[in-house]
Amino acid sequence: MSTVSMAVNLGGIQMRNPLNTASGTYGNGIQFEGFYDVGATLGAITCKGVAAEPWNGNPAPRLTELPSAMMNSVGLQNPGVHGFVERYGSYLTGLREKGCQVICQIAGHSLDEYRRATELYEELAPFASGFEVNISCPNIAAGGAAMGATPQAAAEVMSVVRPLTQRPVIVKMAPHDVAEIGRALEAAGADALSLINTIPGMAIDINTRRSRVCRPTAGVSGPAIHAIAVRMVWECAQAVKIPLCGIGGVASGADAAEMILAGATAVSLGTVNLYDPACAPRILKELEQWAQDQGVSDINELIGAFEC
Amino acid sequence: METGPVTQYDFTVIRNEPAAQGIWRLVITSEVARTIKPGQFMNLRVPGDNAHILRIPLSFKHADTKAETVELLYAVVGEGTERLAKMRAGDTSTLVGPCGRGWWLPKAEGRALLVAGGIGLPPVFAAARQLAEAGVGFDVVVGNHTAERHLMQEIDELRSMSAGEVCDCERRVVVCTDDGTLGLDGFTTDGMASLLAERTYAQVYTCGPTIMMAGIAKLAREHGIACQASMERMMGCGFGACSCCNVALVAGGYALCCQDGPVFDAEEVAW
Repeated sequence: MSTVSMAVNLGGIQMRNPLNTASGTYGNGIQFEGFYDVGATLGAITCKGVAAEPWNGNPAPRLTELPSAMMNSVGLQNPGVHGFVERYGSYLTGLREKGCQVICQIAGHSLDEYRRATELYEELAPFASGFEVNISCPNIAAGGAAMGATPQAAAEVMSVVRPLTQRPVIVKMAPHDVAEIGRALEAAGADALSLINTIPGMAIDINTRRSRVCRPTAGVSGPAIHAIAVRMVWECAQAVKIPLCGIGGVASGADAAEMILAGATAVSLGTVNLYDPACAPRILKELEQWAQDQGVSDINELIGAFEC
Repeated sequence: METGPVTQYDFTVIRNEPAAQGIWRLVITSEVARTIKPGQFMNLRVPGDNAHILRIPLSFKHADTKAETVELLYAVVGEGTERLAKMRAGDTSTLVGPCGRGWWLPKAEGRALLVAGGIGLPPVFAAARQLAEAGVGFDVVVGNHTAERHLMQEIDELRSMSAGEVCDCERRVVVCTDDGTLGLDGFTTDGMASLLAERTYAQVYTCGPTIMMAGIAKLAREHGIACQASMERMMGCGFGACSCCNVALVAGGYALCCQDGPVFDAEEVAW
């Protein structure tokens, strides 16, 4: 249908089109099979973050709604690498066979946990096209965002994960100091960066004086944060040479196009998957139409084509 | 329970009108009526406001598979349901469904007891029809804060509902109010206790506020009766993608209300 080549390469992960999914908003893909053919549609999916051992995640309530946004504190509930592979391995292998890349996300509370999760994935998950290291979850007490809070800490996680795999490693960044931390991650061997994770926020029930979710702060996502995410992708793109995956409030082809112009090679759909779960084919079509209207033959020509 | 895959359907409003104080009756046409089962739910999008991005998860009272209509009852409790109440006949939008796991028929022979609190009535009503169609006899306890909140049409329908019940004893429908303005002056647990004094049951079905269901589950356990409870949580997606609607389990860890429930074996829930 399109005369524009939509294929992109996200740090060694060859994607048929720029559309990816944001970890934690897409289950492990299979939940969306009733809405569209996942394997035939997306460039890649990024699975829910998984640690070496199962995590229960945070107590209820984990969610509250905000204007044009939501705020969650799931806390990376996951079945551990063994459980993940057992439940989803054959489905995800099937996605690869259909030409959709599968990015597995590595979670951990400590450097040792990141190491063990990566080792287990290497052993058990041949279907993984690459990995995304989550150093930016705002909803866990240890690890998570703390691991990515400074350039030194972020690089330290990379120095643990990098030697353990030949496959592409993406790092999921927190929404702060993206240029500085991005440079440190690039130097530490990251193949690509994905940004942004949710923005820490607060919502207080003024009657009970308690948080509207289970912890005082939680992660804000959705259309309300899109402009912030685009700005951070642009800032990071100025600082590094490795490709970026833009994440944050993307709900249309136009939103995805903004990310690409700001410097993103790939674009993840996040919160939109929850309230408009059938959206991906529409967004892809809109993105292709935009590229065509821009008069390019290859969408790569539009990456970072923002003119200031 | 065998269910179809969760997908997105269009719906058109046929009727949307007040049914009791703060409670509205919504009748829609949608293909989801063909496959949705009692106790399952659907996640409706109310169009026209980009500030409220999440859908509204609603259980339903009855789905007519032939006419492809679904009747729902909902409480107007916030901005989302206030906007839903403004939808008019002919308005269209989309819904996601059928979501979750619904009620299951009793595993043991015997009579069932249905206990509904507040806006927990619609899925309990759906369970009643399911039981009636399966020839399982049942009694009902319906509770509310006050008389004006009671869905009198549904209470009448529960009294008169018949479909080849094998049990020959007369159905009891106990109406309770917290303030004593209608029926039994007390909670649904009081209504349930009064029935337990007279009759024996093989299965309890309950939906209502969590604190009420915890009390019902406790009474059921004390009497050795299996109990199914339909849980409510704030939901992000409604189909297992975001893990936001967790329900704590006795065995440790969490289940997801939208995917593993909303109907749970009450014994498995850490109340």
